[in-house]
Amino acid sequence: MTDKNGFFDLSKTTLSRRTALKGLAAGAGLAVAPGFVRYSQAQSSAPIKIGFQSHRTGIGAAYGRWYEKTTAAAVKAINAAGGINGRQVEVIIEDDGTDPGRGAEVVGKFATQHKTDIVFGTLFSHVVIGSAPAAGEAKIPYFVVSEGHHVASTKLNRYVFQPGITDVKSQIQSMAPWIAANAGKKVTQIFPDFAFGYDHRDYLPPALKAQGAEVIAQIAIPPTESSFTKYFPQIPAETEVIYHVMVGPAVLTFVKELGEFYGSNRPQLFGFIDSLEAVDINSPGLEFLDGSHFWEGSPRYAQPDDSAAQKAYRAAVGIDDNGAAVGDPKDVSTAAHMFGCWETLYVVKKAMEDAGYKGPEDRAKLVEATEALTAFAEGPEHPQGPKTFNGKIHQCFGIQNISKVEGGKLKVVHKTKIEDGLYEAEGDYTKQAL
Amino acid sequence: MDSSSPFTPPSVLPDISPTRGEIMLPSSPSPISSVAREAPAEKSPISPLEGEMSGRTEGGAVECCRLPLALLPAALLPTPAFAHASDRGHVLLLPTGYYLVGGAFAVAVSFLALALLPADWLDRFWRRRLPLFAFSDRARIAISLISFAGFAILIVAGLFGSRDPLSNPLPLVVWTLLWAGVTLLQGVFGDLWSWLNPWCGPWRLASRLLGTSDEGFWRLPRWLGFWPSVILFFAFAWFELIDPAPDDPARLALAAGVYWLFTFAAMLAFGYRSWSRSGEFLTIFFSMVARFAPVERDEKGRLGLCWPGAKLLAAEPLPPSGIAFLLLALSSVSFDGLSKTFFWLGLFGINPLEFPGRTAVIGSGTFGLVLTFLLLAAVFLLAVTLGQRLAGSDQPLGQAAGLLVWSIVPIALAYHVAHYLTALLVDGQYAMAALSDPFALGWNLFGTADMQVEAGIVAGAESAWWLWNAQAGAIISGHVLAVLVAHGFAWRLHPQPARAALNQFPLTLLMIAYTVFGLWLLATPTVG
Repeated sequence: MTDKNGFFDLSKTTLSRRTALKGLAAGAGLAVAPGFVRYSQAQSSAPIKIGFQSHRTGIGAAYGRWYEKTTAAAVKAINAAGGINGRQVEVIIEDDGTDPGRGAEVVGKFATQHKTDIVFGTLFSHVVIGSAPAAGEAKIPYFVVSEGHHVASTKLNRYVFQPGITDVKSQIQSMAPWIAANAGKKVTQIFPDFAFGYDHRDYLPPALKAQGAEVIAQIAIPPTESSFTKYFPQIPAETEVIYHVMVGPAVLTFVKELGEFYGSNRPQLFGFIDSLEAVDINSPGLEFLDGSHFWEGSPRYAQPDDSAAQKAYRAAVGIDDNGAAVGDPKDVSTAAHMFGCWETLYVVKKAMEDAGYKGPEDRAKLVEATEALTAFAEGPEHPQGPKTFNGKIHQCFGIQNISKVEGGKLKVVHKTKIEDGLYEAEGDYTKQAL
Repeated sequence: MDSSSPFTPPSVLPDISPTRGEIMLPSSPSPISSVAREAPAEKSPISPLEGEMSGRTEGGAVECCRLPLALLPAALLPTPAFAHASDRGHVLLLPTGYYLVGGAFAVAVSFLALALLPADWLDRFWRRRLPLFAFSDRARIAISLISFAGFAILIVAGLFGSRDPLSNPLPLVVWTLLWAGVTLLQGVFGDLWSWLNPWCGPWRLASRLLGTSDEGFWRLPRWLGFWPSVILFFAFAWFELIDPAPDDPARLALAAGVYWLFTFAAMLAFGYRSWSRSGEFLTIFFSMVARFAPVERDEKGRLGLCWPGAKLLAAEPLPPSGIAFLLLALSSVSFDGLSKTFFWLGLFGINPLEFPGRTAVIGSGTFGLVLTFLLLAAVFLLAVTLGQRLAGSDQPLGQAAGLLVWSIVPIALAYHVAHYLTALLVDGQYAMAALSDPFALGWNLFGTADMQVEAGIVAGAESAWWLWNAQAGAIISGHVLAVLVAHGFAWRLHPQPARAALNQFPLTLLMIAYTVFGLWLLATPTVG
């Protein structure tokens, strides 16, 4: 199943996506074996090596599993179409345990041991923040799919990019026009009392204010709380919209108790699907969410107006119309986020081709080529939608989906404009030395 | 499956073999979130509500990123992490409180019912056996050699195969099939490990080639008892539960390979039987668990069926090192559960919704692992001491504790089953796929390389209900059986019914408490 160059040519096989990744990883193992000189004479035909910093274990494992599936599907598609600059793509998975300390080690391993061309695929923000310095130190481009504002804040370093998924600041900001126009003007926020919640606490009020609406109360719930009834009396009676972003195992309890508190006469509910990513929306306890609205990066459920690219993407990754694994309907995907892996890999492909990338010695050229990108058109490479890219802050901007829970499914009722999520750049990575 | 061949991995526990015993050698945040804001966020139009925690000083993170890289302690950054609404969320909606009460009640009622049964009734019940067939030990060496060859292949796969712990067969085999799976099989089918272990065959070959005696070069002093295995089991538990990356294929290959060599050398030095009884912790753990199995094999190689736990009753008292070993086995699995609870993390000021990862909890984890053991040991010894006093016994504490500690075996097995059930169901599938292609070369040895791993098997409310009931059932049954076993031993210590019941009373209270603790571990909010 290997071709003469020693890597898999997926275009000629019917390998499963999993095998694609796993098989390609083999070269990585052999590469560290003594005497490995296979590609030394033939770099032009050697594969592009992508180090996948994956949450295989730890608290991110549920996401990690779907990030791996999406990545495998994208790599298979890229290789089937001839790879990058005519070279096949090889993915080497290293588990970071969803652990920042371990994450930095893994980046180091990619740079020095596996000698990958880039590091890619990190989701959890704390792992990104913990690993970014290692990437900067090793001068290895680090393409994350984390949604955090950390990259765009320009507080990391020039080697860190987030070109495949929008950041949370942009997401929150772009929700405000729809909330103010459709849900209500008086908003009460309920969020977990730590950094994740603070993004919403801090970014929503000014965005709503700009739309003529206001946040009238902010209720921060201690992270270890598992019963919420005592907090609900703090919700002002004049509240028109409850904006909730609870996360963790107690989310179902939160929704159930909120339902018991309000009964059938409730304000509008607006949430971020992060609360229920990979959880069946029809789970017992979630009945109260019927008729409520959620932000979704990419829709979990197939929509009637899905583009051909979106359909092809869903089929390639292996999710059914309900956003669950094909053949395993209870395995609900992390659809709102995982598309970012697919799109990021295509950005890497574009940047490598623009840079005429040949190997690690061209990493600086790859950074500059990525920074030079400005827009990604909607299509097979960017099935979630069109995006713009700000090379100064290494962050893409795109459309967001607002979906309504209806008949046990999430139905997209609004797509934001790219402009809704734009904000002033907070710095400029391109001024940093390479 | 005890046997009498020279290679019979000695029942490992010299003191538990009724026939040959030498008696007594003296455990999603959202990917979202920002690093921190450069400038203080625009002042909130609303004043913070009462009860809002101040949270961490976020501004510091920004500056952190500008410090020299080496000074960046990731754990100190505001670290939004994604706390996935895991399947524990479904369990939180179940009426688990009733189970806790019901479990405690079931254990208490078992104790009372047993106290009222005629003295010899239970004994006659336990002694029933259903003989099956006999088979010889001839294949033992060959099976062990095959096992060793498989082990060696796994080590090579660990070093040179896929770096992905869910594609490399080594971590999947060691942690899922061996540690979770074989333990379960031992509890059901008896001592399969005495056939499967990767040392017996190589040792036999090497000792023949070297012309060394079966007893090795040196004798282990009797006072050493099980202590080497206690230390090695602790090291194993630490690696599994505390080490930052026990799933890393190369790291595990190194650890497992070194342990194999170390054990092999010890077996050559001190004799296979001797080291299997005092040092090789897997053999000791597995054979203790096998004592619970409803399958036994006598000295003539005849297989038979008995009641679960019946073989435990024939056991002789364990020495202090054996008591420590069994309690460590239970406490380590208990701590693995405890360490992931919001409760435990809260004690150390760790926000479970932004769990900082294993590298950040090495200190507290090590402390907890030791503490759990010490607490369990203290409470156990206290219960036995009180029981002895209530019964007015003048028997030495060591004797009573050494005997009654056997009642921990069904509990340890129940915790193991409950704790590793979901891992077994999902990672077991990954293992089957990985074994078909151990070196990630695109092979498909068993036709399972491309099988779809159905993670949905443990996902959703329905699965959560089934899993919870299976786990709760295991915990409660384990404790009821423990009461049964303890009851049998109490009779042995105190033939008079009243004294036997009094003797067992404090231990029963401990078991009720541990039942509730075990169910609580499965019901309370946890990370991941």
